Amino acid sequence: MSGERADTLAPPGSGRDAGRALLEVRDLRVRFSRGGRRVHAVNGLSYRLNAGEILAIIGESGSGKSVSARTLMGLLPPSAQVSGSARFEGTELLGMPEREMRGWRGAEIAMVFQDPARSLNPTMRIGAQITEAIRAHSDMSRKQAAARAVELLKLVHLPAAERRFYEYPHQLSGGMRQRVVIAIALAGEPRLLIADEATTALDVTTQAQIMELLLELQQRLGMAIILISHDLGLAASYAKNVVVMYAGRAVEYASAEELFAHVRMPYTQALLGAIPLLEREPHALLPVIPGQPPDPAALPAGCPFRPRCAAATDACLEPPPFEEHEPGHWWACWHPAKDPAEDPARDPGEPGGAHARPVKDGVQG
Amino acid sequence: MTVALDRRYRSVPARLFGSPAFRMVGKRLLMAIPIMLGVSVLTFWVLNLIPGNAAQQLLGAEATPEQIRALEAQMGLNEPAVSRYFDWLGGAVTGDLGRSFVSGQDVAGQLGERLTVSAELTGLALIASVALAVPVALLAARRPDGLFDRVSMFVSVSGLSVASYVLALVLVLVFAVRFAVLPAIGYVPFAEDPVENLRGMVLPATAIAVPLFCFYTRFLRGDLVDQLQGQDYIVTAQAKGIGPWQVLLRHAFRNSSFGLITVVGLNLSTLIGSTVIIESIFAIPGLGQLMLQAINTRDVLVVQACVIVFAVVTVLANLITDLLYAVLDPRIRYGSG
Ligand SMILES: Nc1ncnc2c1ncn2[C@@H]1O[C@H](COP(=O)(O)OP(=O)(O)OP(=O)(O)O)[C@@H](O)[C@H]1O
Ligand SMILES: [Mg+2]
Repeated sequence: MSGERADTLAPPGSGRDAGRALLEVRDLRVRFSRGGRRVHAVNGLSYRLNAGEILAIIGESGSGKSVSARTLMGLLPPSAQVSGSARFEGTELLGMPEREMRGWRGAEIAMVFQDPARSLNPTMRIGAQITEAIRAHSDMSRKQAAARAVELLKLVHLPAAERRFYEYPHQLSGGMRQRVVIAIALAGEPRLLIADEATTALDVTTQAQIMELLLELQQRLGMAIILISHDLGLAASYAKNVVVMYAGRAVEYASAEELFAHVRMPYTQALLGAIPLLEREPHALLPVIPGQPPDPAALPAGCPFRPRCAAATDACLEPPPFEEHEPGHWWACWHPAKDPAEDPARDPGEPGGAHARPVKDGVQG
Repeated sequence: MTVALDRRYRSVPARLFGSPAFRMVGKRLLMAIPIMLGVSVLTFWVLNLIPGNAAQQLLGAEATPEQIRALEAQMGLNEPAVSRYFDWLGGAVTGDLGRSFVSGQDVAGQLGERLTVSAELTGLALIASVALAVPVALLAARRPDGLFDRVSMFVSVSGLSVASYVLALVLVLVFAVRFAVLPAIGYVPFAEDPVENLRGMVLPATAIAVPLFCFYTRFLRGDLVDQLQGQDYIVTAQAKGIGPWQVLLRHAFRNSSFGLITVVGLNLSTLIGSTVIIESIFAIPGLGQLMLQAINTRDVLVVQACVIVFAVVTVLANLITDLLYAVLDPRIRYGSG
């Protein structure tokens, strides 16, 4: 049976509460054409997100996480060609005219970026940058918008909010800047917040504080969050569901508990194995997996993980379908890992296999 | 809920005097002293090397050696160069720049008159080039590789490859000779007849401004596109749902303007160079024309004074550039950290 069809008919996440979908992405494909060279950044990504939930998108660098997120906001450069579907409460976002899209940006979907040092305008006061976002979607007066901006700064727990209102980004620390970026994202009261590695550039303590803030906001405001990260541990602690991306497609999808208890896809296992035991390094940005991620300009035939996979066989020359093999658990692999519980005499040579359990305890404990 | 909207703006003078910028001014002005000295020594030395002096030039080819020697003695030209230099320097520090060998006029007074003329010409050219370059660059950067961008880039690349003096001759041919709508030569002081004064300025100012305009347009367009395509804060701004012009003006242009200010400041010495040539083409009695005439007549003190003025203007231009930076860029204004 065709994996493609399964993707388009029922993206992961559908099921019991299929009626409450906030965002439904189906077979999303993004290709960049640069002087004859074609970069296939996203190759048929499907997922589903319910209102108020946190979904983590995990994957190595270059797996298409940021591109797929920016697609949702129509923020790709003109060289990008997009196909597939992304419905936000039933409204198709892809191919929406720019003018109309502007009404959604900030108001329905907002984004927080990786590097707070670069994502604020260095020449504008903090207050002006927030009020601009507020006034983009409301007809508040300057005064009302300023009051609202200070409220937002308090909401993100920025100390001395009234004073910071008049300061410039360079007068703030990295963590404070990220709080400001989050305040900007909240200005339009969005129902979906995309945090694209929002904590990667911060030190560990600040990282945890920002994550706690996002969690608190999600609970207080009932906002859904897409948490983009390299970091499986982060996904495990905060997300309800996890999409693992590889070479521009989803290779495994499950609830966080299910995924860490019964990891199936050798790539996810490798990601787990790449997280050091017990304590993770403060800046374990890129999990180290032997071999290189595939070049998106020249993807291998069949399973894209095949060249790096210890379990690969000739069967893997055929692309494995991304299907719901167990209730709520999707993967794309011909040779999924078995549970250690089911199969204690496990091949010790299998990548990451021996690490899967202790890491799960480590990150959740 | 209300917020105390006490703007923490300090007034511009308070910002200036209380800031590191003020100390910077002092330092720069001190640094300017050795520069002026060096420039004056160099000029004096070079003029001394060129064969012929003011006495010979004044008396012409028919003069007898005795006549020349007599005039040299009267002008003090028979004294050694070093002592002449120190004589001049002694006067210069007290504001006395001596008298012209040729006209006998007070050099300082002559300079003042000429300086206002040159300042008007350069000022007009500078303002026109920047005032036109900014909107053209903004329109071009709005849609990179769009029709407007391509046309304006073609025009500015062509404009850059044409020298000011060639352009000046073309302008004269077209607007003064062929259509006779604007005067080619003849300067009328502003106080006498403002309209005629400005009419006379149109062609020379255009000749100076066109290459500048092309250069600034290209630079600013490039910088704007770099900001728009490569900077995260632009994506943050776009993600707010604001319009493309707001992104361009409030975000990209604000940041690109610092680069433009630097380029304009650095370019000022080139601007002075083209002013000298343009003034002699259009017979505008500015500093450039004065200097060229003085070089021909070996009127050392006048040349010396002109060169010093050009040096001062260059130093001041750089200083003003840095000051503008300090006032405009919050990262410098408030220090880092
Ligand atoms: N504007 C663009 N033009 C061409 N290729 C691009 C462009 N933007 C991204 N890509 C390519 O698309 C692929 C996916 O990039 P993306 O930024 O989505 O990766 P990512 O998963 O977010 O990685 P990271 O973890 O490093 O942020 C990469 O190979 C990248 O080089
Ligand atoms: Mg990314």
